[in-house]
Amino acid sequence: MNFNPVDLQGVLPALILMAGGLVLMTTEVFLKVVAGAQPDRRYQPFLSAVFAAAALWAALSSLDSPASSLFQGAATADGLGRAIAATVAGALLLSSLLAFGYLETLGASRGEFYALAQFSAAGMCLLAQATDLLVIFVALEVMSLAVYCLTAWMRKGKKPAEAALKYFVLGGFASALFLYGAALAFGATGSTRIADLAAAVRLAGGGGGPAGGLAWAAGALLSAGFIFKVAAVPFHMWVPDVYEGAPAPVTGFMAAGVKAAAFATLARILVGGYGDANAALGSHGWQEVIGWLAGATMLLGNLLAVPQRSVKRMLAYSSIAHAGYLLVAIAAMAGSVPRADATQGLVFYLASYAITVVGAFGVVGLIERKLSASGASDDLNSWAGLAEKHPGLAAAMALFMVSLAGVPPTAGFMAKLGVFRAAVSAGLVPLAIFGVLTSAAGLYYYLRVVVYLYMMPAKGEAIAPGRMATAAVALAGCAAVVIYLGVQPGGVTAALGPALAAFGR
Amino acid sequence: MNWYDSHLLSVVTFLPLVGALVVAFLPRGEHGQHKGIALFASVVTALASLQLWFGFKPGGGWQFEQKTEWAPAWGFSYHIGLDGVALLLFLLTTILSPIVILSAWKFTEKSVKEFCIALLVLETAMLGTLAALDLVLFYVFWEAMLIPMYLLVGVWGSEKRIYAAVKFFLFTFVGSVLMLLAIFYLWTESGTGGAARTFDYVTLMQQAQFSPQVQSWLFLAFALAFAIKVPVFPLHTWLPDAHTEAPAVGSVLLAGVMLKLGTFGFIRYAMPLFPQAALAAAPTIAALGIVGIVYGSLMCMAQKDLKRMIAYSSVAHLGFVMTGLAALNAEAVSGAVLQMVNHGISTGGLFLVIGYLYERTHTRDLANYGGLAKVVPGLAAVFLVITLSSIGLPGTNGFIGEFLILLGTFTSKIAGGQLLAVIAATGVILGAVYMLFMYQRVMFGPITREENRSLEDLSFREWTTLVPLLFAIVAIGVFPSPLLDAVKAPVDEFVARVTKSGGLPIRAQAREGEVRPAGNPPGLAPGNPGDVPAAGANTVVRPFFPNRAPLAAPAQPNP
Repeated sequence: MNFNPVDLQGVLPALILMAGGLVLMTTEVFLKVVAGAQPDRRYQPFLSAVFAAAALWAALSSLDSPASSLFQGAATADGLGRAIAATVAGALLLSSLLAFGYLETLGASRGEFYALAQFSAAGMCLLAQATDLLVIFVALEVMSLAVYCLTAWMRKGKKPAEAALKYFVLGGFASALFLYGAALAFGATGSTRIADLAAAVRLAGGGGGPAGGLAWAAGALLSAGFIFKVAAVPFHMWVPDVYEGAPAPVTGFMAAGVKAAAFATLARILVGGYGDANAALGSHGWQEVIGWLAGATMLLGNLLAVPQRSVKRMLAYSSIAHAGYLLVAIAAMAGSVPRADATQGLVFYLASYAITVVGAFGVVGLIERKLSASGASDDLNSWAGLAEKHPGLAAAMALFMVSLAGVPPTAGFMAKLGVFRAAVSAGLVPLAIFGVLTSAAGLYYYLRVVVYLYMMPAKGEAIAPGRMATAAVALAGCAAVVIYLGVQPGGVTAALGPALAAFGR
Repeated sequence: MNWYDSHLLSVVTFLPLVGALVVAFLPRGEHGQHKGIALFASVVTALASLQLWFGFKPGGGWQFEQKTEWAPAWGFSYHIGLDGVALLLFLLTTILSPIVILSAWKFTEKSVKEFCIALLVLETAMLGTLAALDLVLFYVFWEAMLIPMYLLVGVWGSEKRIYAAVKFFLFTFVGSVLMLLAIFYLWTESGTGGAARTFDYVTLMQQAQFSPQVQSWLFLAFALAFAIKVPVFPLHTWLPDAHTEAPAVGSVLLAGVMLKLGTFGFIRYAMPLFPQAALAAAPTIAALGIVGIVYGSLMCMAQKDLKRMIAYSSVAHLGFVMTGLAALNAEAVSGAVLQMVNHGISTGGLFLVIGYLYERTHTRDLANYGGLAKVVPGLAAVFLVITLSSIGLPGTNGFIGEFLILLGTFTSKIAGGQLLAVIAATGVILGAVYMLFMYQRVMFGPITREENRSLEDLSFREWTTLVPLLFAIVAIGVFPSPLLDAVKAPVDEFVARVTKSGGLPIRAQAREGEVRPAGNPPGLAPGNPGDVPAAGANTVVRPFFPNRAPLAAPAQPNP
């Protein structure tokens, strides 16, 4: 196997992030240690943000370059990978700024936080580009291991340990499922390339013959691994505890980045591998399965979010619900008709969800760091009356909630438009009806946060959220992008069209 | 044509939003500045919108049209324009908004800045809903309306405000999401035959040709969204709560404009886009409208809460509008359109006056009122005029609308039109009963509460807000023809499109007025598949309602 250095240019965002992680680790060595005091690590979030910004630029500037295969087909540099890389890098950029104040206030600025975040982001970018099952696995583990560590970051107390252990054990389980699937796929095709898998499926013509059966079993296991990562039913049990136990800025990054990368890979495996337009598989068996999963995910996520009193847990269940909407997009990508609108819908949804959820968890972080300093638990009551003392923060949170609910003129609405429009045009009308009805149910719990922010009087002294200029800048950035995507989606949609045109062909 | 003229409609639509942005960047605590900027922005909007009225040429087609790319890759564009129906509601909105802002001058000390922003954003959203000619643009404005209204009810409302606000939001949102899917379906189908898929309303109107079954589903999805907003019985349960708990300004805008956007949705979208389904559903819609009239009127009589009573009277009045739309002839539909405007003026005015009363007495309970005419004669006089307009006394605007609707329904060709008209006419009587009874209980008789003896009469500011409404009540009542002329072309087009879609035979109706050949009106899609030439033999355009016809309506109570 010969190595072509030019191919490295195709994975430039991942390389930049990897370098960022290494630089951040290396600078630790040169820190001046004064006995009994933490060294000054305030440069780290900004360094991390600079690397994230560089990766963002690298991804965006090459967004509409032609797709090319890298490393003899082990990875690909296409619009989907670049768009996901841009989403991940953007989420990392904002999360770094949001994490700064959080970690400083809670005295948790230990050396490896931002380096781990960079490594996990590099894994995500690579994951979204990988087209070989082994590369997928390596990228998946690079991403996951770093995220496990970040989940346990706060160390003290039961919740972080519980969250990290749960995530680690169940994540290991999911990785094992994926590996088993990869082994079966190798058995069926003699190769670990997704393209070869697609060829085998095409040859089997709908599941006939032993190789076909193996390939389909492999597909089920491979998808199961990623359905775990995207937090969809029936592999959603870990989500609330992990989201609650992790520090809020990490949760936001995790919800945005892991979901984006895992959905990209799921699309590659299912649509690129099993739903090839030339595969002549008729109605594509997996579309129906994904449709049912999407329905169950939307229903459970939205229903279970309703009784939550903790905003973090509520957002965790809402993240499950959003995985359901994204699965609708995946289901709409199947089939022999042109599915460009569904691909665009998926990517637009991932980007808009990422920016919204990073912002939402950013606000949660500002509240949480005050709460954990005083030892109180996260409850809606602590949000009451926030609008009177901190109108800007309350307005930002309300905006993020409205966007998650999918009400115009926000990014969340345009995202739902993209997904459900594609679902209707793919003929999945019942699924789309079910989806919009569950999203209407979801409105209830998002509005409840707004109710507490604006309409409930504060019980006693209203909570004074932590203040930090960087967090304010990051939140303002999130809010601006949420409104921009909701009001002026034309620029993004125009760029996505040609960038994603090559996907799945 | 210079930039201003070619973008006039956009300018008017977004002026309030610009005002809101200015308010957002003013320092907190400067309440006078916030209110001043908000009032200034809305007054400028109203003045600019008058240019629309004077620049409007009665006749078919879209005026002040503007089309710019928005997200061409996804098939939607920024396409706006007005026809006569939208123009009237547009002006109603721009004129009610400064009135509302001025009326709330002393209403609140709580978050004045946010209050002003919410009102201005709401105005832009309502104007945009009326102006939009692209389904996505329309939907964006339609839903964007909900957020400021939700905040107005939920933050500045009375005791049960949170319940009412959430109920309002959920009801309207659930109805709307299915419409969104129907819009996507239209987009999907618009791509057949090699054309690019589009959300553009004007294009879709020319292309929309579906089988009756598909039409009925799509119509149902659209109609549900609009029927909740109107609200049509039995989907009205959010309305009394929202109206009662909302602050006066919220009630005025809710009753004055937002409810009408539901009926506007029927006349602009639900019925003309799916004419066959609309034709089939017309008797049902009319019947529901009638039920709304009678039920709303009866509920009014049982209310002890002043605002709740007016809220139920809205159900009754909009029942008239729905019946008029479903009657599907030029008289009834133009009456319905006029009644939309009238209801905005009279019920908006009622909520305004009741708001002033509430600011003085801090009670909405009818039992706490009585004898106020002696204490506040000015307020009592204004209240009387608006009450009479709401009843539909000849000489006021309400009479013209109700009369045209009843006349049109009586001569309508939908099943049981005459019976419906007779039942609807009892609604007029019931309306007089509950309104006059309410007026009597509030204004006449002995004073029941000691505090009520020392109420102040209307201030100059409050007079300023009411005089335009009084003027409109009399002006439309005496001289309705400019309004009817403006809506003539779109109403004719609407009636022709729905009734000629096949299914309902058009009875030759050549009693009076000119008879127009059966050709398609200008701008209408050339020929629906089910368009049998014989079915649309003649469309009769009757002379529009003459200036204050000396007609004694059969069921018109004269108090």
